[in-house]
Amino acid sequence: MSFQKKLSTKEFAVLAEMHTPKGVNIARLVNDARRIKGRVDAIVVPDMDNGIVRMSALAGGVLMRQEGIETIMHMYCRDKNRLALQGDAMAAHVLGISNIVVTHSEDMSQSDHREAKTVDDIDEFELLSALRSLSSGKDMEGFELDGIPSFTAGCTLAPWDDEKMLAKELEFARKKVEAGASFIITPPVFDVAAFDGFLDKAKGLGVPIIPTVFLLKSLAIAQYIANSEPGANISDDLIRRIRKSPDRELEGTKIAGETIAALKGKAQGVKVQTLGWEHKLPEIFDVAGV
Amino acid sequence: MITAERKPLEELIEYVKPYKRILLLGCNECVTVCAAGGRKEVGLLASGLQMALLKSGISIDIRQHTLERQCDPEYVEEIVSMIAGVDAVVSMACGCGVQQLAMRYKDKPIFPAVNTKFMGASERQGVWAERCQGCGNCLLGETGGICPIARCAKQLMNGPCGGSAGGHCEISEDVDCAWQLIWDRLKALGKEESFVEITPAKDWRSGGGSGPRKIIREDLAE
Repeated sequence: MSFQKKLSTKEFAVLAEMHTPKGVNIARLVNDARRIKGRVDAIVVPDMDNGIVRMSALAGGVLMRQEGIETIMHMYCRDKNRLALQGDAMAAHVLGISNIVVTHSEDMSQSDHREAKTVDDIDEFELLSALRSLSSGKDMEGFELDGIPSFTAGCTLAPWDDEKMLAKELEFARKKVEAGASFIITPPVFDVAAFDGFLDKAKGLGVPIIPTVFLLKSLAIAQYIANSEPGANISDDLIRRIRKSPDRELEGTKIAGETIAALKGKAQGVKVQTLGWEHKLPEIFDVAGV
Repeated sequence: MITAERKPLEELIEYVKPYKRILLLGCNECVTVCAAGGRKEVGLLASGLQMALLKSGISIDIRQHTLERQCDPEYVEEIVSMIAGVDAVVSMACGCGVQQLAMRYKDKPIFPAVNTKFMGASERQGVWAERCQGCGNCLLGETGGICPIARCAKQLMNGPCGGSAGGHCEISEDVDCAWQLIWDRLKALGKEESFVEITPAKDWRSGGGSGPRKIIREDLAE
């Protein structure tokens, strides 16, 4: 069943994030994808939105399609103007990629090419509108297309520290839904009970919510997120659990798997983010029972 | 100087028509020189607005004043009592002046009366042309005093492109090719060798690539 179908039938969708290489060695990407084929509904391929130059998401997405795996491709506005973005979107459709997540991008000052010029010709709302326009057969200027693409476009929520920030994020999300987002991917969830509270608030958006499940690779990472992102709700108990574990890597895998299992029946799916440890995905899915 | 052009009257009417008393505030600096928002233009706009509003049956008390500099908090402070007596302010300064007012008078609606255009120089009477984009790392010393950032449509660092013909830019016969100008000037100065050197990709951080810029002079800052 396609990702779009899963969304429309309100079935739980399992997504895994896989980055393209910084270079052209695609062996790891392809091997990691093959290992989870059949266990995920789609692979989410980020682009350079985190500011690190790498092989483009379009190529990564096509590789996944060649492996017979559905793809959700990131698009963002920092590096390309409206012509390039529309061109890429149409190219993606032709190459078999119709699922797009419009994401925030890191500021150029945080990238690995800090001297580069930022484009930001349009913003996330306008990009979502552009995708909707293309899906209706017209480009942003209203010129008719020869062959009409179709997209299932989604958006992301930025992390929040407190209720005020969350209210602002939800307002942005409402605007993104109005602009054409048909699903929303949230920041990592570490506390499923706290996520319930969020879901109540986000219900009014009227689109499927897909939380991110983040693999905690080490105690240091867990502590860092706990200290720097209070909205992530990493509890002292969770930190203690990792600290006391004789095998902290395994513990992180278990936590991610248990979080996925706990989110079943609550959210519309999960996006599992392992940031370089994609080889751990099968173990995580074993724990989660997916 | 910073150049500007006055906004269309229709747009300004939409801004001011909900109010009873407004202050039309000019600036004696750049916008005076480019005849967009100085004392004279304040007077002209006040009359124009008044007539257009009366035609629509709207009567507004339009007060007029011109500050020495709207981008300077010291001058902006001078008009506290004037601001207190009006419902809204229409600034004829550049965007810097409008924002200085908005920052100082937080509870007062401030509207721009001009569109701020660019940093430019006067070519002849009534004609101003873009000359600088404030990239923060001036390379005029290497390009014969002609800026490819502000004057080349593609901001090429190693021009000209294939669209340069007869000394003109491909975008219009009215636009000089900046790299033709650079070449001519370097040749006249006997510095042709500068032209053949490949300039590496520009570092745009100083040009706003890392967000809004600020200058802090430790010897002057309080």
